[in-house]
Amino acid sequence: MMQLLYLDPGSGSYLIQVIIAAVLGVIFYFKTGWNWIKSFFSKPKPETEDDKHESTD
Amino acid sequence: MNQLIKQHPASFRDPSGFIYEKDGTIYRFVSTSYESHFHLLESSGLSADLIKRNLLLPYSRLQENHTGRPDWHITLQPQRIPFLSFAWEWSFSQLKDAAGATLAICRAALAKGMILKDATPANIQFVKGKPMLIDTLSFETYLEGEAWIAYRQFCECFLNPLLLAKYCGLEAHKLMLCYPDGIPASVAAPLLPFKTKLKPSIYLHVHLHAKMAGKTTASASRGTKKVSRKNIEQILQNLEECINGLTLTPTTTSWNNYYGETILSNDYFHSKKELVSALLAEIDYSSVIDLGANEGEFSLLCKKEALVIATDFDSACIDSFYKRLKKEKQSHILPLVIDLTYPSPAMGWDNAERIAFFKRQSFDVCIALALIHHLAISKNISFDQLAAFFASLCKKLIIEFVPKEDPKVQGMLQWRADIFGQYTGEAFEAALNNYFQLERKEPINGSSRTLYFYRKQ
Repeated sequence: MMQLLYLDPGSGSYLIQVIIAAVLGVIFYFKTGWNWIKSFFSKPKPETEDDKHESTD
Repeated sequence: MNQLIKQHPASFRDPSGFIYEKDGTIYRFVSTSYESHFHLLESSGLSADLIKRNLLLPYSRLQENHTGRPDWHITLQPQRIPFLSFAWEWSFSQLKDAAGATLAICRAALAKGMILKDATPANIQFVKGKPMLIDTLSFETYLEGEAWIAYRQFCECFLNPLLLAKYCGLEAHKLMLCYPDGIPASVAAPLLPFKTKLKPSIYLHVHLHAKMAGKTTASASRGTKKVSRKNIEQILQNLEECINGLTLTPTTTSWNNYYGETILSNDYFHSKKELVSALLAEIDYSSVIDLGANEGEFSLLCKKEALVIATDFDSACIDSFYKRLKKEKQSHILPLVIDLTYPSPAMGWDNAERIAFFKRQSFDVCIALALIHHLAISKNISFDQLAAFFASLCKKLIIEFVPKEDPKVQGMLQWRADIFGQYTGEAFEAALNNYFQLERKEPINGSSRTLYFYRKQ
């Protein structure tokens, strides 16, 4: 497949995506784990304060 | 190339194709080098889906090569855009919505095995009140492991200007005129307050990005580190959350409560509204420009079939008007931040890529209410200059004259010498009479102001 790369992505910007991907991956991993633990201990109920805090950065 | 066709001066960067004009119609040439990407765009259902969601400008396909070029694949005829506008003319919420549309398009593309190869507001236009991608060739086939090539461009063109407006004030939006290709992280990061470093998303996308800019280590080279599809989805989602979370703190500027101020009575406002309504009902028009539109009270009096461009130099006014129009689903009015004394210039390569604001089109009607005293007294623009300007802009003019004894004018003259001996109703009429025919002249109740209706000679 021929890619038509007319835009310079910037090498630093390429590297930062690798870093951001890693950071977001870790956050996602912990979020999923935390949600699993919460669902294990609690009954299903409407969104808690913790959920709200987690959804903001 | 065929002599009859004219390649658009802003359409030269992407080798996949270009926009051209032939006999007054806009077409898009699609090159054979883009064939496989275009095929995927259509066969995956992505273009149809985005057009249905009002995210992509509709187009039709033509099997006719106007250009005579051997690398022709297909010709597209995009739907006509009613009025071109650029990011430096948009308010905060308009840029935010354009950013949201760009991310939504990229996410939809990724779900269909494609990705946006550029992410710039230059590819977005407001059509029927909605930000739409106008560049059909912005998509390319997604290759697993490749990073998002337009990530930096997205940050520079959308995220950084929005963050600067949010944390440094709306005036920072004007930096977009200095950096039409996007505000680099290295420029934005030092301007943002320290607290933004404590916000993980902003730290990563801006502050860390600024530190990394220009790094050319071996490990940074393309392809050595892979970014998975899931990673890109997470980056897009994170950018979306970060941008959605940006809201302006409500502020009162000198202008966004203009008609609510006690100095101007209710009687004045209603009387003016009635006069303008009656005038607009009498005349025939299909395009209107409202100069100094404030929060759009008078633009809203125009009929819905007409194209209405509402301009004001106050970004907060235009922002609140845009939000109101969006809420009320009034799609015929396009509000834009324009400083009449410094309107958007012609920009880009050979001054031809981005057309100057007042060169885009002339209008059937120009509405200029509570405006003339600001231009004549605050900016020292003569009535002759103003009359010539209006004559170049419109066929019919609805204009309010604010006399010197008006409290607003008195307020403007309070701290400066009155060098405006020529600022009289007679001089105003004499200047306009050089270009226009006076049709109506009505006093506005509750004030000493006068409403005029002129028709071009």
